[in-house]
Amino acid sequence: MTENPGADVGEVFAADLLRGHTDTIVLGVLRRGDSYGFEIFRAIRDATGGAYEIKEATLYASYRRLEKDGLVEPYWGDETQGGRRKYYRITDAGRAVYRRNVDAWVLTRGVIDNLLDTGKARP
Amino acid sequence: MNADTARSQHSSDLLHRLLDEAFAPYPVTADTLDLKQEVRANLAARAAELQASGTPASEAARTALAELGDIGALLESGDSVPASPSWVAEERRHRVRPKPAFAVRISVLAGALALDVLLVALQLAGVLAPDYSWIIGQLAAAVLIVGWIVADALQQETTTHYPMPRGRAIGFGIASALVVAGAGTGLQMVQGVNSAWLLLTGFCVVVAIALFTFLGVTATNRAKPWVVRRQATHSEVPNRFETDQAAASRFGIYTAVIFTVAFVAFVVLSFTIGWAWSWLALVGGFLVMMLVLARMLFGEGTR
Repeated sequence: MTENPGADVGEVFAADLLRGHTDTIVLGVLRRGDSYGFEIFRAIRDATGGAYEIKEATLYASYRRLEKDGLVEPYWGDETQGGRRKYYRITDAGRAVYRRNVDAWVLTRGVIDNLLDTGKARP
Repeated sequence: MNADTARSQHSSDLLHRLLDEAFAPYPVTADTLDLKQEVRANLAARAAELQASGTPASEAARTALAELGDIGALLESGDSVPASPSWVAEERRHRVRPKPAFAVRISVLAGALALDVLLVALQLAGVLAPDYSWIIGQLAAAVLIVGWIVADALQQETTTHYPMPRGRAIGFGIASALVVAGAGTGLQMVQGVNSAWLLLTGFCVVVAIALFTFLGVTATNRAKPWVVRRQATHSEVPNRFETDQAAASRFGIYTAVIFTVAFVAFVVLSFTIGWAWSWLALVGGFLVMMLVLARMLFGEGTR
């Protein structure tokens, strides 16, 4: 930790960047199939290699936003020991928004790589 | 084994109690209960995961809840909807112009379809010398054009809707094409019922219905967020039958009376005047029912 003082800053920055794309990330998880809160949470956690845990409250806020905009549709699943699970299904509108956001991200990534001179910029 | 199940029972009790405490400060609304239910199942899953990795049961429940973050923010950032601008203003802001290439494509296809149908009609009417193989070819062309137009149009983004995914759009195109194919082959039977044509018509229509049903059942939202929000506020337009139960049951009785009268008239007319005109009684019944419906839903009773 002490050997690399930049590590902390780096993690904070990455988390911020990630949080800005929560809705798209959730849509990306749902594109692979219907899912419920904890499963989505786990998918995101596993994809980041456990390095970053998105707050579940952030995810609930995201589900509400997505539902209100008609990008996902909720439905109640089977009873489990803990209670009924609320599943989410991505809608056609959700797929369209996902595709558009991914395109925007790819474009932005190229621009930022260019500006920051990371050497990964594509022509 | 027994102690184990007892412990997990205890931990789930604890989870429910902690959840109750977390939600206690907030008013009990359908929305809150809904969120609580959703959170409950997810917390249970997370606590089970923690326990599986060796965390003691009581701690697992607390950790799961602590990880949740701030639920208060979700419950309080509720329905402070700002005054929404007019539909026209929003429509202008979200306006999507059709792609020029699509407009050209559709015009050409529509023109071709019109010409195609005109030629078939002229041949069937005997104005042009009818050529049987030509008619079949022209019907096939009409089938293809209709399918293409439907599939192409559904894949376009509009001001109110996102484009339909390619596979589904093509599905709708095929289903529409099958309907036209069914109508076309049905048309062939004007010259006499032929079992091969009959089979083809039936096949087309049945497959089309099955395809439409499948696509309809699996359909999800395609409307844009601003339209969805519009629809949500518009659904508050009062529906008299929901607020006035007596009006709803009165309408049910009126409908039964109207259709009984219409059916009796249909039977009587069938035996007196004949089949050619008696069906008008049913159409009349339907019209009267719709007029009653319109008057009762939106008439003097509504605010």
